[in-house]
Amino acid sequence: MAVLQEYKCPCCGGAIAFDSTSQKMKCPYCDTEYEMETLAAYDTELKNEPADNMKWNTDGEAWQDGETDGLFTYACQSCGGEIVGDATTAAMSCPYCDNPVVMMGQFSGSLKPDLVIPFKLDKKAAKAALTKHYSGKKLLPKVFSDQNHIDEVKGVYVPFWLFDADADAKVRYKASNIRHWSDSRYDFTETTCYSVTRGGSLGFAHVPVDGSTKMADELMESIEPFHMEEAVDFQTAYLAGYLADKYDVDSEASIERANERIRKSTADAFAGTVQGYMSVIPEATNISLRKGSVRYALLPVWILNTTWNGQKYTFAMNGQTGKFVGDLPMDKSVYNQCLLRYTALFGAIIFAAAYLLWLL
Amino acid sequence: MKKRILYIGSILLLLVCLLQPVWASSYSVSRLVDEADLLTDREETDLSGKLDEISLRQGLDIVIVTVYSTGDRTVTEYADDFYDYSGYREDGILLLISIEEREWAVSTSGYGITAFTDAGLAYLTGQIGDAMSEGDWKEAFHGFADLCDAFITQAVTDRPYDADNLPKKPFNPFLTALVSLGIGFVIAFFRMNRWKNQLDTVQAKDAAADYVKEGSMNITEQKDLFLYRHVDRREKSESSSGGGSSTHTSSSGNTHGGSSGRF
Repeated sequence: MAVLQEYKCPCCGGAIAFDSTSQKMKCPYCDTEYEMETLAAYDTELKNEPADNMKWNTDGEAWQDGETDGLFTYACQSCGGEIVGDATTAAMSCPYCDNPVVMMGQFSGSLKPDLVIPFKLDKKAAKAALTKHYSGKKLLPKVFSDQNHIDEVKGVYVPFWLFDADADAKVRYKASNIRHWSDSRYDFTETTCYSVTRGGSLGFAHVPVDGSTKMADELMESIEPFHMEEAVDFQTAYLAGYLADKYDVDSEASIERANERIRKSTADAFAGTVQGYMSVIPEATNISLRKGSVRYALLPVWILNTTWNGQKYTFAMNGQTGKFVGDLPMDKSVYNQCLLRYTALFGAIIFAAAYLLWLL
Repeated sequence: MKKRILYIGSILLLLVCLLQPVWASSYSVSRLVDEADLLTDREETDLSGKLDEISLRQGLDIVIVTVYSTGDRTVTEYADDFYDYSGYREDGILLLISIEEREWAVSTSGYGITAFTDAGLAYLTGQIGDAMSEGDWKEAFHGFADLCDAFITQAVTDRPYDADNLPKKPFNPFLTALVSLGIGFVIAFFRMNRWKNQLDTVQAKDAAADYVKEGSMNITEQKDLFLYRHVDRREKSESSSGGGSSTHTSSSGNTHGGSSGRF
C-alpha cells in the first residue's frame, strides 16, 4: 500500500501545512515558517525512505470480490487512525485528528506532476467571494442567499494536462464587398468577390485540460485562465493542508479537447487578419500541430458545495486569480413579476413618447 | 283680354326683374344637389346650411352633387361640367357621387386647385372612403365639408396640405397602447434575460485565446485574389412626384383639378 506523508514541524512536532498568504510552510501550533526550498530537500529525503508494510491478514467476513477496487486505506502517522481514500485521492486530512496527509504513492514515477501553482487565496477569500457572487443577482431567490449554508469548502489541487504546440495554418476565405449607388433611373448594387488566402503559424503555451473526472470540465474551463508564469516545480509539501487528486483521464484522452480549442483560436486569429471586406467566409481550413508537448500540473481550485431544495449547487473559485463561478437558481415568481412590471413601465414610456410625437 | 295678357305679362316681367339679381347671384345656387336622393329632407337642410356657412365664410364654393348616373360622360367630366355650368363662383370644390357607376369624383376650380393638392385630395377622400362604401352618406358628406373647411383654412393661413405636410391622422389610443405594450414586453424580456444570464456563470471555453504565446503569430502567406465583379441594376420604382396639383381642361375650357375613384 502507498506511503502516507505528513509534514511534521521540526520545531514542535505539530502537523504543518502550506500557508497561501506567506507562500511558505507554516506550523499552526508554534507559528514557525519554513521555506519551500528547505522542504524541497526534505522531500527528496523522504522519497528515499522505505515504504511501510501495512498488509494485514484478517479472517472473518471478507470483502466481496471487486468491492475494494478503487478503495485505498492508509494509516495516519499521527494518530494511527485508518484513512480511506479512493483510487485518485492524493492529499486530504485525517478524519480523526484533522492532520493534513499526502499519499506519496500517487505522485511516484510517471505520476509525478511537472508543475504546481500554489494556492494564493485562502478559505476566507473563497467564502467572501461567494457572498460577492450572490450580490447584484436580482433574480436569485432571497431565501437562497439568506440561508447561506455552505455544506463544505475545500481547497483542491486539480490535475490538469497542459498542452504546448505550434499551429500551422492555411486558410482560404471567400471575401466580398457590396456597394450601392443610383442614378436618376436605376439603383445599382455591385458585388466584388475575392479569394483570400492566409498562411502562417501561431504558438500556444499551457492550454489546460481538466484531467479529473470528479471535476466537471465546464466548471474548470469557466475559472480559467491560470497564469502559468507563477507555476513552480512540483513539491508534495505544497499539497499539505489541501485536497489533491491524481489524474484519471490520461493525456491521450485529453488531447482532443485541447486540439478543439487550439483549432478554434487559430481559425479566429487568422480570420482577424482578413480585413477590408464586408463579408468573410472560410472555405477551406487546414490546421496542423507541431512540436506538441504535454505537461502534468496541479492547479489550485476552491470548491464550495451547497444544497437547496434538494438540488446540489457547486461553485468553483480559481485559487490563483480568485475568479468565481457557479450556476445559481432563479426565482420564477420574481421573474414573472418583474417581466410584467417592466412591460407596463416600458409600455407606458413608449405610449407617452408616441403621444408626444403625435402632438408635435 | 289684351289688358289681362298685359297684366300677367307685366307681373311676370316684374317677377323676372325681381328674381333676376337673385338668380344671377351664385349664393342662391344650391350647394347640395341630391338628385339620387341619398339624404332625408331634414339631413339635406342641415348639410345645405353647413355647406353655405363654410362657403360664405371661406369664400370658396363647397358643392356636393349626387346623381343616379352620369350617362355617357365620365364622372370627372360630369363633375367639371356641373361646376362650370351651374353658376358657382370661380373658386370652389365639388364632390360628385354617381350611384349607378358607384364612382365618385372631386373637381376643384380656381383657388380650390391650390388649396386641394393631389396628395391632399387623396388623404381627404381616403378619410371619407369607408363611410361612402358603407353608404353612410350623412357622415361622408359632413366629413367632406369639415375636411374642406380645414383644408381651406390651412391653405389660407399656412401652405396647403401636400405630400410632405399631410394632416395628422387622429390619435388611436387603443392601437398605440397595444403596440407600446408589445414593444415594452420585448424590451422587458431582453432586460430580464440579462438578469437571468447573470445566474449562469459556468460556460465551456471554446477557444484558447488566453494561451496564445505573445508575438508568436507569424504570417507567411498572404494573397488577396480578385475573382469577379457583378453589377445588379434595378429600375427605380416610380416614386410620387414632388407634390402640388395636377390639372386638366374641361369641355368649357376651364381648368380643373381633382380626382376620382370607386366606392
